[in-house]
Amino acid sequence: MARSKPSSSKKQPKRGVDFKKIKRKIGRKLPPPKNATNTEIKSKAIILPEQSVASERAGLAVSKKGLTLKELLQQTSHHNAKVRRDALTGIRDLVLKYPAELTLHKLAIIEKLRERISDEDKVVRETLYQLLKLVIFPALKKDVPGSLISLMMAYIFNGMTHLATDIRLMAFKFFDLVVQHYPSSFFMYAEKVLQNYEDILRKNHIYLQDRSKLKNALVGLVRCLSLLPCNRRTVDPSYGKNTETQGSLHAYELEVPKEHTDFSSIIKRLEDILPILVNCFQDFIPLVHPMSSLDAQSFDCMLYLLRSIDLSVKFFLYGIDKHQTDFGVTKPTYNEKDMPVWGEIATPVFLRKFLEVFPLNQLHNTSGKDEDKFFILNIEITEIFLHSNEWIFTSAILMERFLEFIENLLSGKIRFNSRSGKALQEKHLTSLLPFIPRLVSLVANTWKSRLLQAFTMAFKDCKPESTLNLAFLSAIEEMLLPSKRQGILLLDASEPEILDHQITWIRELPVLLVRLGDTLSSLSKVILHLLLRLGQYAPMNSSLAWEYDIMQHTLGEFYSMCLDDGSILYGPFMKLPKDCQELSVCCLYYFSSLDSLLLRSLVYCCLCDNLEPSVLFRIIDVLHSAYKIGHLQLVDLISFFVTLVARWKVLPGRLYTHVENAKKISNRETFKAITGAVCSCLRQMGDDALIFQIVQRVILDEIPLNPPIDNLCGMLRLLVILDSRPTKLSEQSIIILSNSISEYLIDAASYIPENGDEVTDSNQISICQYYLVPCFFLFDRSDKLLNLVLDLMGSSIGEDNSSLACNHDTQHTLDLSSRIVAVVSILLYMHQDIKIRRRLSSCKGEITRILQKMRLQLIDPCWEQ
Amino acid sequence: MEVVIASSPVDAGIGCWDLHSGAEQLRYRSCTSTPHGLACVGQRFLASSQLRDSSSSSGSILYWSWSKPQVEVKSFPAEPIHPLVSNSDGMYIIGGGSSGAIYFWEVASGRLLKRWHAHYRAVTCLFLSDDESLLVSGAEDGCIRVWSLFMVFDDIGMEMAKNPYEYSFSEHTLRVTDMVSGYGGCNAIIVSASEDRTCKVWSLSRGKLLRSIDFPSIIEAVALDPGEHVFYAGARDGKIYIASINAETTSSNSYGKHIIGTLSDNSKGVTCLAFSKDGILLVSGSEDGTIRVWDAKTHNIVRIYRLAKGPVNNVLVVRRPLYSNRQTSENSHSSFSRRHAPLLPPPLGKYVNSTDENVDSGAVSVPQTPSSDIMDAPYLSYHVLTKQISELQQQSSAATGMEVDRLNLDCKRSVEIVQKWKEMFAYLHKFCVDELLGNDQTQTQ
Repeated sequence: MARSKPSSSKKQPKRGVDFKKIKRKIGRKLPPPKNATNTEIKSKAIILPEQSVASERAGLAVSKKGLTLKELLQQTSHHNAKVRRDALTGIRDLVLKYPAELTLHKLAIIEKLRERISDEDKVVRETLYQLLKLVIFPALKKDVPGSLISLMMAYIFNGMTHLATDIRLMAFKFFDLVVQHYPSSFFMYAEKVLQNYEDILRKNHIYLQDRSKLKNALVGLVRCLSLLPCNRRTVDPSYGKNTETQGSLHAYELEVPKEHTDFSSIIKRLEDILPILVNCFQDFIPLVHPMSSLDAQSFDCMLYLLRSIDLSVKFFLYGIDKHQTDFGVTKPTYNEKDMPVWGEIATPVFLRKFLEVFPLNQLHNTSGKDEDKFFILNIEITEIFLHSNEWIFTSAILMERFLEFIENLLSGKIRFNSRSGKALQEKHLTSLLPFIPRLVSLVANTWKSRLLQAFTMAFKDCKPESTLNLAFLSAIEEMLLPSKRQGILLLDASEPEILDHQITWIRELPVLLVRLGDTLSSLSKVILHLLLRLGQYAPMNSSLAWEYDIMQHTLGEFYSMCLDDGSILYGPFMKLPKDCQELSVCCLYYFSSLDSLLLRSLVYCCLCDNLEPSVLFRIIDVLHSAYKIGHLQLVDLISFFVTLVARWKVLPGRLYTHVENAKKISNRETFKAITGAVCSCLRQMGDDALIFQIVQRVILDEIPLNPPIDNLCGMLRLLVILDSRPTKLSEQSIIILSNSISEYLIDAASYIPENGDEVTDSNQISICQYYLVPCFFLFDRSDKLLNLVLDLMGSSIGEDNSSLACNHDTQHTLDLSSRIVAVVSILLYMHQDIKIRRRLSSCKGEITRILQKMRLQLIDPCWEQ
Repeated sequence: MEVVIASSPVDAGIGCWDLHSGAEQLRYRSCTSTPHGLACVGQRFLASSQLRDSSSSSGSILYWSWSKPQVEVKSFPAEPIHPLVSNSDGMYIIGGGSSGAIYFWEVASGRLLKRWHAHYRAVTCLFLSDDESLLVSGAEDGCIRVWSLFMVFDDIGMEMAKNPYEYSFSEHTLRVTDMVSGYGGCNAIIVSASEDRTCKVWSLSRGKLLRSIDFPSIIEAVALDPGEHVFYAGARDGKIYIASINAETTSSNSYGKHIIGTLSDNSKGVTCLAFSKDGILLVSGSEDGTIRVWDAKTHNIVRIYRLAKGPVNNVLVVRRPLYSNRQTSENSHSSFSRRHAPLLPPPLGKYVNSTDENVDSGAVSVPQTPSSDIMDAPYLSYHVLTKQISELQQQSSAATGMEVDRLNLDCKRSVEIVQKWKEMFAYLHKFCVDELLGNDQTQTQ
């Protein structure tokens, strides 16, 4: 370019004069020659993301910006905050797109990401938090080795002691996140974490300005503390137990040792932290009182503080409780030394002071919204008080205040104003109700009656579908029955007032059950369980047992009700799931004398088509058992059984084994099974002769009602089973029976297979036998019955002839002919049976009479038409 | 001799058969036993609690000795007793009352040592764990409670503890019909049957429900296979169901989950079950008055005994000492056996006797073992000992001196006799040795 110029100017002087010398001034730049070629080359960097010399990216997982995970991770430690943030979002995209990438490189990812926990830039931290919360932790939920957590924890602790408050508080948030996903990690680092919490709370006045941050930290604390073991008041663990998991009971069990954390260190820390929490809370109070309104942030802070206090108190109680129950048998987790310090001396002083605060803000009657807030806080304090009252002897005045508050709460004098208040109130009441039994058993008599009064009122007012009912029921169970853990009665039922309340509750139960219907089967189940327990545990001949007996009048409605017009209204029993039905049936066993009215409503249920047969059999079983221990009258039970057999609806339909008839057949099989069950019950009752008399009487009452053939067959079976060889049937009953048996036989004759047919259905034969065999037994035992039946059969053929000279109704004739066929086939069938043949030989007279009548009918002029 | 004994709620007496030969032994008369109300006390005699009509307030427990068909001792406890058990050496009898109380008697003296309120309803079955430290009771209200016998007698401990019982299981909804325990003392499993058509398996060590099995019918009796692989459940429908404890059952078969088969004879309901000591023969009592012996391995009936027309409600397999049989079998020894026939202990007391309770709290009674050599050993009761001691103390020193002199004399005489024996022995010994040596010499020569 420029260099070519001077070289050309050097040569010029040698060429002489041919060219004019051009003088040039030094320092002046020449204008470029006109024909000079512009050889300037401009270069610009071209970035081709797809083509890197270093690595071949095809098939690699890349983020939206085309960066690999490795690059992204490198960028997370870039000095530019923006780059770091972009890298984090990049990782997020990448992981979302290729989940496998995360599982493969989780260690590397966490290792890199953890450095950002104490990042100076707020946005970066926030992005990291979101990344961990939304993507990484949920994805790694299943397999997280402890090493990963410990990797994180080192940096989290680092952050917790960081100088910048922002980072510190954020570190707590991170820890909260870890605990949220891996609760066990709390116990590994409990001591250190609590230490950090303690530090931060100690300097709370610094953060008073920034309450939202403090709130975040407190949320974490609450979460951690709620992981501590405490006496959980579950409704009843036995309701939802699952024992079917184990296949082999004696098999070697790979028992993972329960993580055994040394609670003593946690106790130490909590001992320190509790006063600080209390102090912190008290710091809030002056802020609150003068102000007319309480801002949401500080309210939340106060709430979380209270929760933390509550949880730590609970934990101490658990320690004491466990210590007592262990009784030195198992390895005590708590040193002897810890307990006395905790139980009696250290806590009460400042806790009592703290409780003195109660109730908050009763004086200022501010806006409704605020009142709710104070109300919630008050409830929280009450809860703490109730938790601790077992070992703090509060002053009477304070006690009064609390009791009054509880009473007001129960009776609904204090209410929430806001719209969502109702639900909130229920929620808080649920948390308080479990304490009522214990409280009632401890307080003085005047308060006892006031509390019980309020409790009973609240229970009565409670709507059936309310969730509160569950809490009410468990409280009632505790107050009615000897508790499972302690084995002693909490309340003395001999006091008339308490007894009154107890009776009110018991009376309310069946009403509630009926009102519930089948809407909330879980609640119904709890009620039924309570009833069952009551039946089991009520001391014999006590007023409670008496009350339980009285309950059967109201319980009838639960099963079914006979309306005035004769129709039956089925109660909730029919619609409840099977386990509830079983429970309610078991309740029957414990009535000391089962009422016949209840039995009637039960029998309506049994006769209903919708009832599952298995439940029906359970009812038979249970009633029989109840009879065995003298809870049921013999006559009642027998009439129950006979009614069942006589009225149970067998679906009509002839029984040939067509596939579409399968359902009908199964129905008949069920009836057979019922008859069998009833028979075996009757036989086990003892004195056959006596039972036979009763059964005979009841059956004779039923027979004139013309039951269907199946039911009649069932009843005959009952008679046959109890009867003996020379029949015990009375004259009169033989006459009544002969009437129906003759009709019955003619009906049953239709099932007799035709003679000539060789390949008759075996099923049909068995059905035929099923119908006829009981009759044969009766005939075998009583000649008289046989004679009468044959007579009646004969007259049934002949009667038309005598009454109507000649009937032109063809229908009638057909009827008659079929009847004759039936009689003939029955006689033939009877003849096949050897025993009956012998019997038949003694009544030749009757048979000839029948034959004569048939002949008459055959030559009858009507016949020819 | 291993015998099957069975009783019935109707008056058919107690039947007794040799398990292996099938020969019927004596039938003990006039027994109407309650369910689980038959016990063999330390192999020495039979005891049975009796059904009473509801009008009588007191119960009744009868004793039969092995050798006589008549009732020998009658006792009348304060209330009707349903189940009755005795520990293996026959020191104690434990009965469950209809009010829910459990009675604890010392057999030798007949004293009621303890009566405690155990259940809210009548006790239906009782058994002792195989190490006899735990008592398990089931009641009409479906509750099962486990009692430690140490705790029961530890009044102070009872007051201290929250519950008098070790465990209380209330998962059964209806009457508990039968229970049986496995091996392993306090680590054993228990199987309980109830009228709610379930059998439940419990762990005594953990105090929790391990398994609940639903059956197609009410289970009246359970028996546990000695290997604890399966248990047998006698049902009211006449079948004996076999339910697995240790096998993995994957699919539910025709009977239900965990039920792997049945023993069936188309009989009426099974009311009681017992295993023989060898663990092969299973004895079942039925509602129709027969007792069937099954081979549990092949599921076949080995033998059928007939007790009565009415139902059987108790079946036990016990080892019966041989001596009692001599009276019938060998007439020459009749005088001998009569002399040796064990005397039955006095009737059981009605109330806990509180007046002398404090003095006698350390009662000692040695049970009479059935082995024949120490059969004559009388009961060494605490009372006897105290009496002797007091007699000794009351005697004057002179009398004691005389006694000592006499004893010294005796001693001297004995020493002389011993000396004589020794000499004689030495002489005999020498004689024998000489003889032997002499023989040897003659032989060698």
